[in-house]
Amino acid sequence: MKTAFAKAIELILSGSPELLNILATTARMSLSSSLIALLLGVPIGILYGAVRFPGRTPLVVINRTLTGMPPVVCGLLFYLLFSGVGPFGKMKLLFTVKLMIIAQVVLITPIVIGSMETFVSGIAAPVRETAKGLGFNGVRTFFLLANESVYQIFSSYLMAFARAIAEVGAVSMVGGAIAWKTNVMTTAIMQYTNMGNFSLGIALGIILLTISLLVNIAVTLLQGRLSS
Amino acid sequence: MRINAFTKTYGSRRVLDFPGCELERGKICAVIGANGSGKSTFASILAGTVTADGKVETLSSKISCGFMPQKSYAFRMSVLRNILLNGNDLKKAERVLNELSLMELKNAGGKTLSGGETAKMALARLLVRHYDLLILDEPCASMDMKGTIAAERLITEYAQKENAAVILVTHSLAQAKRMASCILFFDDGKLNDDPERMEEFLRFYGSDKGDPGNGGI
Ligand SMILES: Nc1ncnc2c1ncn2[C@@H]1O[C@H](COP(=O)(O)OP(=O)(O)O)[C@@H](O)[C@H]1O
Ligand SMILES: [Mg+2]
Repeated sequence: MKTAFAKAIELILSGSPELLNILATTARMSLSSSLIALLLGVPIGILYGAVRFPGRTPLVVINRTLTGMPPVVCGLLFYLLFSGVGPFGKMKLLFTVKLMIIAQVVLITPIVIGSMETFVSGIAAPVRETAKGLGFNGVRTFFLLANESVYQIFSSYLMAFARAIAEVGAVSMVGGAIAWKTNVMTTAIMQYTNMGNFSLGIALGIILLTISLLVNIAVTLLQGRLSS
Repeated sequence: MRINAFTKTYGSRRVLDFPGCELERGKICAVIGANGSGKSTFASILAGTVTADGKVETLSSKISCGFMPQKSYAFRMSVLRNILLNGNDLKKAERVLNELSLMELKNAGGKTLSGGETAKMALARLLVRHYDLLILDEPCASMDMKGTIAAERLITEYAQKENAAVILVTHSLAQAKRMASCILFFDDGKLNDDPERMEEFLRFYGSDKGDPGNGGI
């Protein structure tokens, strides 16, 4: 065990090509999916939080349900849709990073929507009243709401990114954990552990935990700014 | 310009039954009445932030209308930026800030202001732009005397220069007398023009609390 740990540190420091490839795939996947989730989730979340339109309540309930969706269920859904016999089988996206990103977007966009919706609900009334009182239109009011929520937008992004990078159920099903292609940190940890190669698994675990620590430090700092 | 009649009901409670009235450009119309008499509801419906019962054509859909809610809100940006949101005339903005003794705070964060300072900022934000109708819900309620005097001067000047009709909700009867050419007296959600009831109300209120003027009514 001690030697596996020492070897893990060595692997990180030496920058083994396989490790670097896994890190690059992970970064590509989780940065893309979290950014897309942000672009989709922030406007929708602001809308849900600020406007009481008909049909809003069912949409909010659906969003909460999606937030709690088990990743493997999402993985299963996309596997069926994109497998050879599925309706989108011809797109040949199964076992690609692209499909991993798509599945993750479905998993994490509800997190961004929910977090923005909760926050914006709390500030919408005075902001909308003030903007309307100044004679501003809906578009200006939307941007004012976004500006009031800027720290929440950052922390929603970090939450989405943290979920994306740590998620394993969906990406292993639709990505297949193919070495040098779709293998990301979480799927690699499972794979190497099954193969008895603990050192690479530990190395990846250390990196994941470090990223998670940094993200949580950032979120905590942002929450400090939010409450001040 | 004419304000059409409308009513407002919350649940089964009718909080406002407004018969309609005529407003004059360049003039200030004061709205007075006890707590809960429907003044803010009236102001919000005129401004379009609250909807009246049924379908009524409101003024705010026909003319430009500025509204200072009873509770002022500062956006997450500097005081000066808050003002310039509503027009980019820096000179005008600085003049109004100066009159309201906010110049020293112009680069401070809007959210760091005190209640009275926030109210001054909210008033300044409206005064830098032309509106046909300006609705102010107790603008001076949390301002100090100096601020109140400056605000009264600026509002009076605005009505004349912009040829705007101004609706001023106030608890200060002295202020209403100093500034307004007409007074709407709200009594339990209804306009009351019974002079006796008004007398009673005025007696009940006595002289103004913390009023910068002579307070004698
Ligand atoms: N959103 C609301 N729901 C229920 N009742 C309300 C609401 N807003 C105002 N009211 C009631 O309407 C009455 C008039 O309120 P308001 O217009 O704010 O009075 P004021 O003259 O003090 O400004 C009050 O009794 C208040 O409780
Ligand atoms: Mg009121």
